[in-house]
Amino acid sequence: MQTIKEDRSNQYINPYFGGVLLGLLLLITIFITGRGLGASGAVKSTVVATVERVAPAYAQDHGYLKKFISDDQHPMNNWLVFETVGIFIGAFLSGLFAGRVKKFRVEHSPKISVKTRIIFATLGGMLFGFGSQFGRGCTSGAALSGTATFATAGLLSMAMIFGGGYLFAYFFRKLWI
Amino acid sequence: MNKTYFFPIVLIVILGIGALFLPESTYTEEVSPDQLFLEINDPSRFVTTEQVARAIIEGDPTILIVDTRSSDQYKAFYLPGSVNIPLEELVDSTGKINEKWENYLGIEGMYTAFYSNGDVCADQVWVLCTRLGIKNLFVMKGGLNYWVETILRPKPPAQTAPSEEFALYDFRKGASMYFGGGGAIEVETQIAEPITPIRKKKKRVISGGC
Amino acid sequence: MGPLIANGYIDPAWNNVIALLVGIAFGYILEASGFSSSRKLAGVFYGYDFVVLRVFMTAVMVAMIGLIYFSYMGWIDLGEIFILPTFMTSIIVGGIIMGLGFVLGGYCPGTSFTGVAIGKLDAVFFTGGLYLGIFIFSMIFPWVEKIYYGGEQGPVTVMETFGISRGLFAFLFVIATLMAFFVASIVKKKVKNIEL
Repeated sequence: MQTIKEDRSNQYINPYFGGVLLGLLLLITIFITGRGLGASGAVKSTVVATVERVAPAYAQDHGYLKKFISDDQHPMNNWLVFETVGIFIGAFLSGLFAGRVKKFRVEHSPKISVKTRIIFATLGGMLFGFGSQFGRGCTSGAALSGTATFATAGLLSMAMIFGGGYLFAYFFRKLWI
Repeated sequence: MNKTYFFPIVLIVILGIGALFLPESTYTEEVSPDQLFLEINDPSRFVTTEQVARAIIEGDPTILIVDTRSSDQYKAFYLPGSVNIPLEELVDSTGKINEKWENYLGIEGMYTAFYSNGDVCADQVWVLCTRLGIKNLFVMKGGLNYWVETILRPKPPAQTAPSEEFALYDFRKGASMYFGGGGAIEVETQIAEPITPIRKKKKRVISGGC
Repeated sequence: MGPLIANGYIDPAWNNVIALLVGIAFGYILEASGFSSSRKLAGVFYGYDFVVLRVFMTAVMVAMIGLIYFSYMGWIDLGEIFILPTFMTSIIVGGIIMGLGFVLGGYCPGTSFTGVAIGKLDAVFFTGGLYLGIFIFSMIFPWVEKIYYGGEQGPVTVMETFGISRGLFAFLFVIATLMAFFVASIVKKKVKNIEL
């Protein structure tokens, strides 16, 4: 007799429900801290911290990183970094309960190779990281939280990110469909 | 579209319409009336003229002396180092403290003493500020009228008075000389410029971002 | 009352603890909604999976309406919350680059973290890419500094930009969102179903 373990790994919660939960979380976060969520800022802090450690003179000289270095506080000691650590934990828990935590794998469309996927993932990340500095945030920080707080920058950011995506989507459709 | 979504959609549309017609609340955080009543009846908000004199002489940077009279009266005579915040100009049209005073009122860690000719005007300013939640506020009892009596022209105590009164008189004499008392209330002998403390409002700045 | 920390209801020492808890909830919700899958995320651009649209717009809508009602009840002072400052040129440039990055990589920073957490190697490479991208930005900053500060308007709100009330904006957003969901459902039916 065999018991077939149910594969729940493709079961996700209802997106509207997820949206309501996320919206409530955002609301509570703003209520408590006066600011919204974020993500790319933690990576930026990591860049600042590592550059400062490896080549402190460079960090001090360079106009951009210098802005985020303060004398009395380690660059990684900020709200966003702690929040990001939380994101890893929370996502891990959710994946665990849904049976999605497995050994390392590359998710890719069957029409492209693993290598292609990895190259484009890296490239996409670089572009996104680069753009996020101009955009003063990513989808979580600028678009999501910004628009919820009625900031024009948030609305603009949301329009530009998704607009930009749609603009380029056709040319890279082979990656996905 | 799914029937289960019918109610949530109706709900969100109703909430949306509600948001549309909700008035923009001019939300001013105020101390509750009960709390205010308690604070008004607490006499510890009064400070003596000697305490104010000592604060000025010692130049304590955490103490702010505020003249609540009109600017004409202030120009005619003021306590050295005091700032002029006339009662009429204290609050703006929405009931919040006028922006002009944001470097003076509501700064964390600062103690503020209001004075006027008597103490009615200063007390009114005290009530308004306390109601808006500002802390560490005091009123100089007796105002400038009493200041003249005690600091500028102190009367020596009777020979039979207890020694504390003599000590107080000595202090007053010293203060009187410092403030150029001894009869005439002359502006010329005062320090020319009031030392205005420009303490940048150290409110907890909310930073945010990506 | 709110924001609670700024008004002294909660000790600022709790700031980072709250950040951690918020993050855990955030990560959980994102992953549970399917955002740890790059193919699901990219689906919004090709019409085969609109999870991004549904979660995102719903979240903004709920938070916005929530803020308005909270403000009305006197529970929060909307004048004290952080408003992202507008840098017109910079945000437009950044947004378009990010859009391209999204299409190529199939992730955005927050969601890539969720992917890493469950073992998606492509998410790991995306996150690594983020680091490189920001690093490169910092290196060439002097050349792009003008764009970075371009079109500075300060922390502008949509009420100021469009001259409408908060409530009207929220209402319009609700309508737009519902319409978008309706369109998305129709598109999804027409597009070939992708086996994820």
